[in-house]
Amino acid sequence: MTDAQTAAPEILRAHAETAYADELQALAAVDDRPRPPSWQLSPWAVATYILGGGLPDGTQVSPKYLGSARLVEIAVASLATDRGLLLLGVPGTAKTWLGEHLAAAISGTSKLVVQGTAGTPEEALRYGWNYARLLADGPSRAALVAGPVMRAMESGSLVRVEELTRIPSDVQDSLITIMSEKTLPIPELNAEVQAIKGFNVIATANNRDKGVNDLSSALRRRFNTVVLPLPDSLDQEVEIVTTRVRSLGAALELPADLAALSEIRRVVTVMRELRAGLTQDQRTTLKSPSATLSTAEAISVMTNGLSLAAHFGDGSVRAEDVAASLVGAVVKDPVQDRVIWQEYLETVVRNRPEWKDLYRACRDLETAN
Amino acid sequence: MTDVHVLGIRHHGPGSARSVAEALATLRPDLVLIEGPPELDQVVRLVSDPAMVPPVAALIYAADQPRLASFYPLAEFSPEWVAFRWAASTGTPARTVDLPAANSFALHIAATPAEAPASPEAPDLPDPAEEDAAVEDAEPAAPRQQPYRPDAIGMLAQAAGYSDAERWWEDAVEHRIADPLERFAAITEAIAEIRAVDDRPADAPDVVENNRREAAMRRLLRAAMREGHARIAVVCGAYHAPALVPADFPPAAADNKVLAGLPKTKVAVTWVPWTSDRLRLQTGYGAGVTAPGWYQHLFAHWTANSTNDVATTWLVRVAQTLRRERLDASTASVVEASRMANALAAVRGRPSPGLAELDDAAQAVLCDGSSLPLALVHRELTVGHDLGTVPDSAPTVPLAADLAATQRRLRLQPSALEELLTIDLRKPTQLARSVLLHRLALLGVSWGTPADTGRTKGTFKEAWTLRWQPELAVAVVDASRYGTTIAAAAATCVAERAQVAGSLTDLSELLASCLLADLPDGIRAVVSVLAERTAVQQDVVPLLETIAPLARTCRYGNVRGVDVTGVQRILDATVVRACVGLPTACAGLDDAAATAMRRAIDSAQYGLSLLPELSLDDWHRALAAAAGSDRIHGSVAGRATRLLMDAGLVERDEVAARLSRRLSIATPAPEAAAWLDGLLSGDAVLLIHDQRLLQLVDDWVAGVRDEVFDDVLPLLRRTFSAFSRPERREIGEQVSRGCGPSRGPGETTLDMRGAGPAIRTMAGYLGWEAIA
Repeated sequence: MTDAQTAAPEILRAHAETAYADELQALAAVDDRPRPPSWQLSPWAVATYILGGGLPDGTQVSPKYLGSARLVEIAVASLATDRGLLLLGVPGTAKTWLGEHLAAAISGTSKLVVQGTAGTPEEALRYGWNYARLLADGPSRAALVAGPVMRAMESGSLVRVEELTRIPSDVQDSLITIMSEKTLPIPELNAEVQAIKGFNVIATANNRDKGVNDLSSALRRRFNTVVLPLPDSLDQEVEIVTTRVRSLGAALELPADLAALSEIRRVVTVMRELRAGLTQDQRTTLKSPSATLSTAEAISVMTNGLSLAAHFGDGSVRAEDVAASLVGAVVKDPVQDRVIWQEYLETVVRNRPEWKDLYRACRDLETAN
Repeated sequence: MTDVHVLGIRHHGPGSARSVAEALATLRPDLVLIEGPPELDQVVRLVSDPAMVPPVAALIYAADQPRLASFYPLAEFSPEWVAFRWAASTGTPARTVDLPAANSFALHIAATPAEAPASPEAPDLPDPAEEDAAVEDAEPAAPRQQPYRPDAIGMLAQAAGYSDAERWWEDAVEHRIADPLERFAAITEAIAEIRAVDDRPADAPDVVENNRREAAMRRLLRAAMREGHARIAVVCGAYHAPALVPADFPPAAADNKVLAGLPKTKVAVTWVPWTSDRLRLQTGYGAGVTAPGWYQHLFAHWTANSTNDVATTWLVRVAQTLRRERLDASTASVVEASRMANALAAVRGRPSPGLAELDDAAQAVLCDGSSLPLALVHRELTVGHDLGTVPDSAPTVPLAADLAATQRRLRLQPSALEELLTIDLRKPTQLARSVLLHRLALLGVSWGTPADTGRTKGTFKEAWTLRWQPELAVAVVDASRYGTTIAAAAATCVAERAQVAGSLTDLSELLASCLLADLPDGIRAVVSVLAERTAVQQDVVPLLETIAPLARTCRYGNVRGVDVTGVQRILDATVVRACVGLPTACAGLDDAAATAMRRAIDSAQYGLSLLPELSLDDWHRALAAAAGSDRIHGSVAGRATRLLMDAGLVERDEVAARLSRRLSIATPAPEAAAWLDGLLSGDAVLLIHDQRLLQLVDDWVAGVRDEVFDDVLPLLRRTFSAFSRPERREIGEQVSRGCGPSRGPGETTLDMRGAGPAIRTMAGYLGWEAIA
């Protein structure tokens, strides 16, 4: 876990198991509960790693997922059973984030991942060939290039399949044998790879995208489903955004300070109000734009603002710094969304005296366009 | 020396119930004492009746104030029920020990002000599980300090990290201690520790109440010991267990002092059917269990001595429930869900999965993560729809017996599930059902509530939503003071309500419900009160408002074969008096009074139109007087004009003249707008089809001064907003076309020179030749 190369400062984003190596080690040291085969930690320790908490030896484990502990427990328990885990939710509800940390805590590696796209081929889920070897020596294990799934089966670890529903249906279904029989046949060699205990699949899928390939019911019942919700309360969401922006800011070496918590609260409030179609005081109904205004969007708006403030401003985040990316996040459809945004600006933002600077910053952008 | 064994239980705890069964079987006592008011002894024998199926509740009510009532619900898995049943099956005498309800009710009455009986509450109730249901009442009960009634075993379980007290009992008590008697001894010891740290002051109301109850229990226990029984088993809430160990008894004199001079009242006892829904914590009665279905499952599983895993069998039932609702739930998924539940329990550090784990597992595995199917499972399975039955021999008030007989005759069985009943009033049996439901509604037994019949205009159809709630038993007992049969009680109740009715409108509504409930006696009573009241009624508005219900009674009373000559007489008198009074009553009204008057006139008009045989001359004359006077409020005058116009008694020209006069400049604009509102509201057809009228209105609107227009605009908008959208559009189009008779194409003057080139080109296409 202390790879020499990952410790090098030029890495933009460290893997979860690297970034939180000390926490994982501390947990492993105190963890005396039974561990399922090939698990690096017991289910209890995994849940603690995700949810955070103090350990008997004084180590403070930082929370990775701020939300319902119940959901995390269900997710961890799922992975200890025969079935895979399907994390479902609208974009930006920390599906991938949670999956990565689960893999890191349970298998000690989060590197085995298949990114699902509309063009994901079957080879990505099974195996490919080293064609030079194939032509030179004919089919053999040496000519076979194992995909992430196959490597996970051989090592008894977790493999992550991102955006499962973006993968074409026929390719998706090649997972069925892998997940139910726990074996991957290689007909070319008349051989198979049988999964070692501890192998399992974490898949993520979002239920908002249009044109997704719905899971076949055969595949669906190989997964336990956990639906990740958007944060319940404003405070919770502000906390999530603050934590993430701070750690991203540190990773990107942005010097700006986040003292301006009010700016985060404002951005999150805008997002929540537009998402819910209702102002926080429940007094005014609003139209919702086409964009998914998730927590992740709020995080990226704030990070952008942070970057603007650091490089072009005086280092502290102000309304002008967030306005541009805020408008960009809300207005995804240049016609409809713009109308919705302007209505919001005029009916809500304008009437809040303490939001005057934000209103002016957004208006300035409008006229500049 | 008598051997006394105290079995401290958790009310409605299946685990306790099972241990009680085992303990009684080992102990074979010759007397069983069970916590509960001693009045219950009168009805205990009924427990062995085969027709007695739990959930049932013992109902104790104050004989002279039936609203003051307590319920002692018992489910199959209640330890008390198990003890009663064991005693009945072995022929062992069983008695109840507690503070008599006679005392606790009397204390309650003494402690609350005079109007108290309206919000009865748990006069005594022991612990969380035993409760008294506050009978649902119209007036909200005053927020009451929830007494401290600890679920002692639940607290022990929570301290041990269990979400489910019953699973704790199973793991920590049953699996660890083989001998059931030792189990109870250990529990008593643990509770004694809990009670030792109780630091409430001795004069706190719930401490006083608890002391009183435990003193009463001890007194009865001492009496039983003196009778010379060899072995006595006492089944009581775990919290009381340490107080009932004879070795630690305080002197008898101290207890007698606590109980001396308590007030008493007369009480009656019976059994009533209960529902599993009412056993739940949430339904507002003191305390209960959150998941009766789950407890039932646990208990059935244990008593059957099944070797299957209790969690798996539960998940199988969840899957079956989902399948019944046509949701996929395969056997393989059940296997997975069961593994998942065990894994979850491990993650949460619990020795075995409880209901929380099973719910989460079912949601993730069987419901695709969605909470909707789980809500269904919760409703159908975790709570359930059980409705108990009690034997016919249970003591009951004659009214309840009559109700039961009527229900049987009409094949209307009470059910805990909400069902929709559609009644065709043309069929005799169905009419009888409707009559029964209407009578019950009059008596305040809200078993059925009227529902929407859907889109039918027929008057022969009625829809009801039926749902039997256990509290209705109390309502029936309460209503029994009116009479011994449903019909007689309803009639008396109506007569009583007629006497105290506040207004003529209330009376006429009462009259209409009598009609629906087929109560000729009730009608007579109401009519005589009505006759008195109308005779002294000077106010025209109530008189007018009485006309419609009376007319309805006359019209449909005839249909239903009720003698309505009395009603007819009152109606005639009322109409005459209203007509005479109308013109004067309309003078000098302010806006609010005018609105009330207009509504009354409308309602009277509707009532009169129901009876074609009635002569309307007086009415029309009265209206004409109201319409013709310029001093009468515009709203009323306008309305009167409209009604006359509809009746064909005023010419259009005359209306146009009045309109013009009323809307002319000399009339203040708000007054004019009110008149217009009276004339036009309700129906836009008049404006759409009478061009002249529309023209007049349009001219008036166009002519008013700007500042006046600002004043009348809201009034006008109010009138026009009542019209439907297409009607408004039609009116708008007519106005924009210029109102006048639409001009035909022939009258259009064409600019032939301008059109020339186009015509020529068009003609060219068609192969014609254009000249000119």
